Amino acid sequence: MTATTAVTVPAGSRALPRPAVEPLVITGGDVVSPAGIGFAALAGALRTGLGDPPGDAPFEDRPPIPLRPVPDLPVAAHLGSKRVNHLDRTTQLALVACHRALAGLDVPLDEADRTRTGVVLGTSTGSIRSSSEFSRETLVQDRPYLVRANLFPNSVMNCCTGQVAIWNQLRGVNATIAGGRLSGLNAVRYARNAIRQGHVDRVLVGGVEELCPQSAWGWHVTGALPPGAALGEACAVFMVERPAAAGAGGRTPRAELLACEVGTGVAPSATLAGCVARAVRRSGVTAGEIRTVSFGAVGGLGRLEERGVRVALGGLPARRVRVAEVVGETFSAGVAMQLAALLADPGTGGAALITSIGPDGNAGCLVVRPAAG
Amino acid sequence: MAEDGARRVVVTGLGAVSSLGTGAAAFTAAIRAGRTGIAPIRSFDPSGFPHVMAGEVADFAPERLVRRLDVTQWGRSSLFAASAARLAVRDAGLDPAVLAAARSGSAVGTTSGESAVIEQLTGQWVDKGLEDLDPALVRQVPASQISTAVNRELGLTGEAQTIATACSASNYALGYAFDMVRSGEADYMIGGGADSVNRWAHAGFYRLGALAKEVCRPFDAHRSGILTAEGGVALLLEPLDRALARGARIYAEILGYGVNCDALHPVAPDPGRIAECIRLAHRNAGIAPSDVDYICAHGTGTPTNDATEITAIREVFGDRLPPISSIKSMIGHTMGAASGFGALACCMALADGFLPPTATVVEVDPALGPGVDCVPGTARPARPRIAQNHGFAFGGNNAIVILRRMP
Repeated sequence: MTATTAVTVPAGSRALPRPAVEPLVITGGDVVSPAGIGFAALAGALRTGLGDPPGDAPFEDRPPIPLRPVPDLPVAAHLGSKRVNHLDRTTQLALVACHRALAGLDVPLDEADRTRTGVVLGTSTGSIRSSSEFSRETLVQDRPYLVRANLFPNSVMNCCTGQVAIWNQLRGVNATIAGGRLSGLNAVRYARNAIRQGHVDRVLVGGVEELCPQSAWGWHVTGALPPGAALGEACAVFMVERPAAAGAGGRTPRAELLACEVGTGVAPSATLAGCVARAVRRSGVTAGEIRTVSFGAVGGLGRLEERGVRVALGGLPARRVRVAEVVGETFSAGVAMQLAALLADPGTGGAALITSIGPDGNAGCLVVRPAAG
Repeated sequence: MAEDGARRVVVTGLGAVSSLGTGAAAFTAAIRAGRTGIAPIRSFDPSGFPHVMAGEVADFAPERLVRRLDVTQWGRSSLFAASAARLAVRDAGLDPAVLAAARSGSAVGTTSGESAVIEQLTGQWVDKGLEDLDPALVRQVPASQISTAVNRELGLTGEAQTIATACSASNYALGYAFDMVRSGEADYMIGGGADSVNRWAHAGFYRLGALAKEVCRPFDAHRSGILTAEGGVALLLEPLDRALARGARIYAEILGYGVNCDALHPVAPDPGRIAECIRLAHRNAGIAPSDVDYICAHGTGTPTNDATEITAIREVFGDRLPPISSIKSMIGHTMGAASGFGALACCMALADGFLPPTATVVEVDPALGPGVDCVPGTARPARPRIAQNHGFAFGGNNAIVILRRMP
C-alpha cells in the first residue's frame, strides 16, 4: 500500500452493504471428468475413488507426476458428427459436456430460446497445446509462415466457447473467462450479470481444462502441485436461469445458485474469509445453515482455504468435499468440478459453500442450495 | 435500458500504452493528426516472413509507468494493462488510496493473453524440451494474470475479470465494468484490454491471406488486410453522481452495450447477426439509430470485414449512414485491446469535438455502396453527441458499446 494513513471516504461513496442476490436456478448440466461421463460416474468416483488404474495419458511426453485423463472420449459418437478431428481437446471436452447438458434438459430449447441463451466458460489459456503447437510451427518449419491456417482459430482463447455456440446454435452472449483456478466463479459472476441485466435469459456456464504435455510439464517444473497430487482434466457445465424462466420453460430446478463473491489481495486466507462472510450475508443464509464445503485447492493453498472458511463461519461445516483429491487438479475447471461434485452427491441437504483460492492471491466462493420443494 | 434505480456511469480517466504513444493525450494527438504507429517488427525475428510490419509499442518501459508491480514477475500483456490502468487513474485525478479503499475492481479483455510469454516458452520447448521450461515464465502464462496485475498495481481488492473473447474483448470488458458500476456492485471499475504482438498471430493471419504488407487501409478499394499490433488501454468508470461530487473531468457517459454470438462460423462474420448486435446495443442504451453521430468501426482492413460491417450498418441505419472510421488504419489491430482503444478514441472525440480519421484511405471502395463517409486523412472537427464503438471477433463474439457526450 502506498498510503498507510486513514483514508477519508468522500461524500457520495459511503458504502451501503450490497443487497441480497436474486437466486438463480440450475436446471441442467453435465460433466466429463476422469471419472467418466456424467454425474453418476462422478458420484461413484467420489464414493470409491477412480477404481481401475487411470488410463494412459493421451500423450507420451509426460512428466513424472500422476495424470488423470478423461477415459474414452468418443467425441464423434457423442456429437453425432464426424467433423471433430480438427477440434482440440479443450473444445472436444466442452462440446461433449454441453451437448449432453442440452440433451438432458427437461424441455429442449427451441429456436427462440437459443437466441436468448448464452455460453460462459472458464479457461485460463484456451487450449495451451493448440497455441503452443501453432507457435512451434513458426519456429520449426522451413518458412515461419508455413502454419496450417485451419488450426489458427484453435490457438485463440475463445475458440472453445465459440464452437459450443456454433454446434448448438446458442446466439446469446458468448464469453470466455480467464480466472485461473477461480475461472468458474468469475464465469458465474459474468453469467449472473448477463441474466440480471437482460442480455440473455439463460446461460450455459462452467469451466474446462485439458490435459496436455505443455501444461503437465508446466505444473511439474513450477512445483505447484503438492507431492503425490495428480493432474486431471475436465469440463462441467450448468444451465442457469431465473426461477420464473425455469418454471415458464417447464424445467425443474435442481439447485439454487446464491451469492458468488471474489476478491484480490495479498493475504488469500483473509481475502477468502471476507468473500465468505459477504456471500453468506448476501445469500440470506446463516453460517450454521452451511452444512457442506466443497474445497478447491489441495496442499498448502488448501490449508489457507480451510483457514479462511473457518474464520468466516466460526468453524468448518460438518461435510467437506475435495473433488480434486479424486479427479486431480483441474485448474480452470476446478470450481465447475466442485459444483458438479455437489450435484452428483448432494449429501443430506442444507446449503453448501464452494471455495477457491489461487496462487495469484485471488480468492472467492459460491453458495448453493438444493432447490426448494 | 438500465434497470430502474440504476446509476449513470461515466468515464473519468483514460490510459493508453500504444504504438502511437503513452498516455491518452499523446495517443489522441497522433490519432487526430492521422499518424501511423506501424513500423518494422522488433519484438521477434521476422526474417523469413514476407510481411514484416506491425504496430508495436517500441521501447515499452513498464518500470517507468507502474509503481507497485515488480516488472520482472509479469508478462508483457499484464504490464501493458497495469501501465494503462495506472495512467487512467492518474488522468482521473483520483487519489489512489481512495480508489483502493472503495469497492473497486477491473475487467480486462484479451485475445491471446500472455502470448509473448507462451512464445518464449515455446522457444525453450524447441531448443531444450518441455522439461526445461523456465518455471518463472510458466507462472506468468494464465491470462487471468492480466486483470490481476491491474488490481495488484492499484491495490484493488474487488474482482479481477479477464475476458478472453478475442478481438471484441475490450467491449465485453467495458460492458461488464459498466454493469458493475451501474448496478452498485462496484464503485469504481477499470475496463480495458491488452495484447502483445506475437509470431503465431502474424503467421496465422498471413496464412489466412488477411495480413497487409505495409499499410492497413480499411474501406479502401485497394486494402489488403490487417496489421497485427499491441498495447494496453484502460478506462476508469465511476458513477456520475460521484464524478460530479468530486469535480472530475467527465469524458463521456456510457449509455449501454449489446453482445451476441453469430453461432455460425469460427472466423467468418455474419452481417445479420452484427446488425442484431447493433439493435441490442441501441435498445440497451435507450437510443434510436438516428441518435448516432459517429461509428468507431471494427474496421480491420480485410475485404470481408468491410463488406460485412457496412452491410450490417445499412441494415440498421438504412441509407443515412453516420460517419464511420477505423483507427486500425493508424495503430493496426491490437486484438483484445482494439475495441478499448476504439472506446478511448470515442471518449476523446466526444469530449474534444472531432471525428477520428481513417488515415490511410485513398479511394473508398465503391463496392461498399453510396454514402460511406470514413473520414479520410486527418481528424475532422465536429460535435458528435453519441458514438457507437464496434468490436467483432473470431468465434462470432460481437460486442458494441454506446457512449454519449456530457452536456
